Amino acid sequence: MVQELESRSMPRLLRALTILTALGFAGTLYLGLFAAGTDIQQGEVQRLFYIHMPSFFGAFTAFGLTVVGGIMALARGSEKWDKIALAGVEVGLAFALINLLTGAIWARPIWNTWWTWDPRLTSAAVMCLTYAAYLMLRAGIDDTARRRSFMSVYGIFAFVTVLITLFIIRIVPETIHPVIVGASPQNAQGSFEATSGVIIALVPSLLLWLTIMPITLMWHRYRLEDRLESLNRLKLKALSD
Amino acid sequence: MMPRLRRTIASLFVALLALGGAFAQDSSESVSYVQARGFNVPVLEGWSDQTTEAVAQFHLAEAEATIRTALVAGADPLAAAQSDLADWLGKAVGPSVYSDKVNLADGTWHTLIFDIDTTTTASVMARQDDAHVIVISFVERAPEARTVLLTLAQADDRLDDAAPEIGRALQQIADVELGSLDDKGIIELPSGEWQVYERGGLSAMGMIFGNDSYVALQEGAPGGLAALADAYNRTLLGFFITPDNSLYLALGLIATFGILGLLILSYVWRGRAAQQDLVLLNALSDEDD
Repeated sequence: MVQELESRSMPRLLRALTILTALGFAGTLYLGLFAAGTDIQQGEVQRLFYIHMPSFFGAFTAFGLTVVGGIMALARGSEKWDKIALAGVEVGLAFALINLLTGAIWARPIWNTWWTWDPRLTSAAVMCLTYAAYLMLRAGIDDTARRRSFMSVYGIFAFVTVLITLFIIRIVPETIHPVIVGASPQNAQGSFEATSGVIIALVPSLLLWLTIMPITLMWHRYRLEDRLESLNRLKLKALSD
Repeated sequence: MMPRLRRTIASLFVALLALGGAFAQDSSESVSYVQARGFNVPVLEGWSDQTTEAVAQFHLAEAEATIRTALVAGADPLAAAQSDLADWLGKAVGPSVYSDKVNLADGTWHTLIFDIDTTTTASVMARQDDAHVIVISFVERAPEARTVLLTLAQADDRLDDAAPEIGRALQQIADVELGSLDDKGIIELPSGEWQVYERGGLSAMGMIFGNDSYVALQEGAPGGLAALADAYNRTLLGFFITPDNSLYLALGLIATFGILGLLILSYVWRGRAAQQDLVLLNALSDEDD
């Protein structure tokens, strides 16, 4: 039995992606903290932007893959796609929490408050709570087939909160959250110019958080879920023997 | 590499380049600043930049005028302004001929005017900031003119008219009634709309911003008062200190590393727990055998 689990060593591609993610994370941190200039109006805290915005897009990728996993799990009744959906929620939630926390920490010196019930902030909080509820609900359903169907549908519909969070500042003008691409809303506070220095630090970070980072973490989570599932099967087998 | 994967990666790069292009378009309308000792002052176009590490300074040769911003150590704005002027000009600076206080959005400023000698007049705004005093000085050394720039709180902030404060400044600085000057109407400058009055060798202009009036007076009338008033006002209203908030940056990094660390640690813990369960199952299975 021990051999059955230990034989699943880390694939070469995952090992390469893990090293690439670690190096990329260190590199983008270097760019954000040292290569990009200090914003003269906002000070050093503006550098959190190089994590804040990319982490949201990382969550977008992970939650998007939850939708794909959910659709495929419903279509094929496959455990594999259900595990991908679960991995997407865990990684996406971690990224969304990073987004929410770095935003609140940035807001303290810039908006003079940790939190305000602004449309963008409220929708981001609702998004986090929706995906936290996914994990709680999932833990409460024992029947595998029922859990797969229910959580697939939940994961697909939960993505609406991600889209609302993404587009709300383009729809609702009464927001103080700044916009980086295009003109900020009239009441936006804490806007800054996307100079070449900002772009040099932002684009690699966005690329890392949007693609390699969520995929690598999700793959690790998928393998863990696979291991846990195999273990459960062995436990059931041992009990039945 | 598979053609489909190559196409996907290429599309992603094109999308990111387009995003970069959108950012670059946003940065076209920008105000340039000079930095000196942690504070920032808008660059005055057409003026010669004499900024050093310690002071931001711009000079306009044809008007013999200089606008200088400095952070001076001290706890008394008046004394700090006097000593800064004396050190800079290399002359003794006597008591101010005009002194008042005005509350602006960023604190209480002292408005001071010094007649340093027969040709040199200094208009100074000074504000305490922790252990330093911010001193923004306008010094004019044209022999044929006396130019002063000052900020006054509006007596009636419901009025959208700088005339009462222009009159007050004329009375106190030049001992002239506003009624004796001709109303020349409003001129548009980058700093705002200015009401202009003139008669003979005397010019006066004023602009409302917030609940305060910014007033410029010139005796001797060599001209160019509008450019001087506009430049000084852009310095006053555009000046700011870069905040020191590196602790919040550290807090944000701790939060990022904390959440990512917890996620990765939870993978490791759960993996180890699964391994321990497996060893236990194996032992139980061996016992059964």
